[in-house]
Amino acid sequence: MNAQNIEKKPTVRKESKNKIKVDFDRSPLKERLKAKFLSLFFLKKVIWYIIRLVLLIGISYIVLFPFFTKIAGSFMAPEDFVDVTVRLIPKHFSLDMYKAIWTEQNYLQAFTNTLFLSVSTALIQTFVCCFVAYGLAKFKFKGNKFVFLAVIFSLVIPHQTLQLSLFMNFRYFDILGIFGFLDGGGIKIPFTDITLLEGVVDIIPEIEAFEKWTAQGLTLTNTYWPLIIMSICGLAFKNGLYIFMLRQFFRGVPDELEESAYIDGSGTIHTFLTIILPLSVPMMITVFLFAFSWQWTDDFYTGLFFTTTKTVLMPKIVGIPTSLTNDYAGQNLYYSAIRNTCGIMIIAPLIVMYLFCQKYLVQGIERSGLTAD
Amino acid sequence: MTTDVKIKAPKRKKNASLDKRKARAGWIFVMPFVLGFILVYLPVVYDSIRYSFYTIKVLAGGGFELIPAGWNNYHEALFVNPDFVETLVTGIWDMILDIPMILIFSLFMAVLLNQKMAGRAVFRAILFIPVILSTGIMESIESQNVLSDYMEDASGIEDGSGQSTASEIVSAMDVEQMFQGMAVGQGLVDYVVVAINNIYDIVNRSGVQMLIFLAGLQSISPAIYESVQIDGATSWETFWKITFPMISPMILVNAVYTVIDSFTTDSNVVMKFISNTYQEANGNVLSSAMAWMYFLIVLAIIAVVAGVCSAFVFYQRRD
Repeated sequence: MNAQNIEKKPTVRKESKNKIKVDFDRSPLKERLKAKFLSLFFLKKVIWYIIRLVLLIGISYIVLFPFFTKIAGSFMAPEDFVDVTVRLIPKHFSLDMYKAIWTEQNYLQAFTNTLFLSVSTALIQTFVCCFVAYGLAKFKFKGNKFVFLAVIFSLVIPHQTLQLSLFMNFRYFDILGIFGFLDGGGIKIPFTDITLLEGVVDIIPEIEAFEKWTAQGLTLTNTYWPLIIMSICGLAFKNGLYIFMLRQFFRGVPDELEESAYIDGSGTIHTFLTIILPLSVPMMITVFLFAFSWQWTDDFYTGLFFTTTKTVLMPKIVGIPTSLTNDYAGQNLYYSAIRNTCGIMIIAPLIVMYLFCQKYLVQGIERSGLTAD
Repeated sequence: MTTDVKIKAPKRKKNASLDKRKARAGWIFVMPFVLGFILVYLPVVYDSIRYSFYTIKVLAGGGFELIPAGWNNYHEALFVNPDFVETLVTGIWDMILDIPMILIFSLFMAVLLNQKMAGRAVFRAILFIPVILSTGIMESIESQNVLSDYMEDASGIEDGSGQSTASEIVSAMDVEQMFQGMAVGQGLVDYVVVAINNIYDIVNRSGVQMLIFLAGLQSISPAIYESVQIDGATSWETFWKITFPMISPMILVNAVYTVIDSFTTDSNVVMKFISNTYQEANGNVLSSAMAWMYFLIVLAIIAVVAGVCSAFVFYQRRD
């Protein structure tokens, strides 16, 4: 590498039978560094790099700042909110808010209830959406387009539009008048027998609702059934989006894969379960992550279907615990901080989950080969 | 004779053509959705439309009674209710303004996050946080969050001036000065100012769009970029001549998704108004009528957006 050693001609040395080594003329290190770092190209690259970094850090800051304020506020004692010198770092460190929410707002009960609801609906939604999307992506049948249009239709109509009729339909749940007919005929439907579901009674506190027969049908409000039924049908929140995403993903899976399985005598459903599903795990995790966290923080459906205070779900714990009510100058800020603390406690499990799953989120989306046709 | 028939029936089934068998399998796969759609969803939609022409009276015994009301609900929403039309107009106007902002921002971020650099995974993870965490109940907590404003405000609320200017990232003056040399209208300046001050909102709402754009960018073949690089194209040219046309189908998808998303979120002013009406009204189905009117208008907007976008969309299809 030293300048003295450089010869004018590139030397060719034969190292072994079919290997040669060529020593080229190299300009001195200083020259090379100059050429590399003092060019306009390099300058442009550095400037772009800095701009990009500043932009990304700035936007990350915008995303994260509300979480910082929430966390900072959650550790403050009431007197910190009237102290002008206190901004982000609490002076009187206290855990009162967490304690009060934990004990007075039934956090643990809300957690287990919501966990059961979110896990069950998210799992059902993931699998149902996979099924439907696979059917739409890989099979040509009459009405395929119509079914896909129906999926988009169910995505486009906001559920707020259907608020009232959703409530009414599940309050007086009936499919084609079958339940009303059976009830009128004095026939007891087996699955309404609560002894069958005794094991889950602890988890589903309001299972007795099945017994409440009305002339119009079953009363399903205040149970988990409305959300579970909607998940089974792929009609729950944003399921149209999941079906769309998964459909695009399955279209990218080469047909030859299934064809070879069919030739080996595997049935369609067997092929789907043993070959296609294992392939699409990152995508399924993505969908599960969406479904789970959107159900976890959802307040529209839980507010709609859970009208009594009996079943405590996560959104219901947002409020001011009675032991923390007070009346002083910083009340507004203090109450806001309490609500924020409730928010932190709600999303804490989600954050933990996100830390583990975020790599699949990007992977799943990237591999989807999403195209818009 | 009977045995003969029994043998024949499965035989015919086996001999069904591959297409037919595949079609049958397809129906089996989509069956949960189709059944649910027909048995649960359509009745709900039908009822919702029907209710908007009725008033509901809840009976003491636990049932309900429908009293036909004709177009009364619609009439009341449009002509009697003092706020609905105004809310509707502002809501739709906001939405029209938001769509380009969200699209431009999410495309920009997707292009940034698609480049190779140190810490890309971390930035991606941070930017997708709002998709997961800022929905539902968090959104409603955020909407009445005074704490965040207070902490952000460096000069403090009690600084004597009585107003906090620091919470706005840029003021209109700065941007105006920047635009002075350029011959752009006041409208555009205001638009940019609003966009920058609402950056938090925009970041929050463009998570899914970013993901979709990112997926689209990933599906562009690197060979195309290599060949234009060899031909000496600058990055600016590469973006407009290669990336933009190739990503244009995604722009259509995202535009439609943004419209749907922004008019179904709880933070939407019209939706808030409709929910309030739903909670207030006793057996009054005004909210259904309002929601359907709003939905029809939004459907028209989606049609226009899809029409405009699809005129510019470039499909790379050779098969």
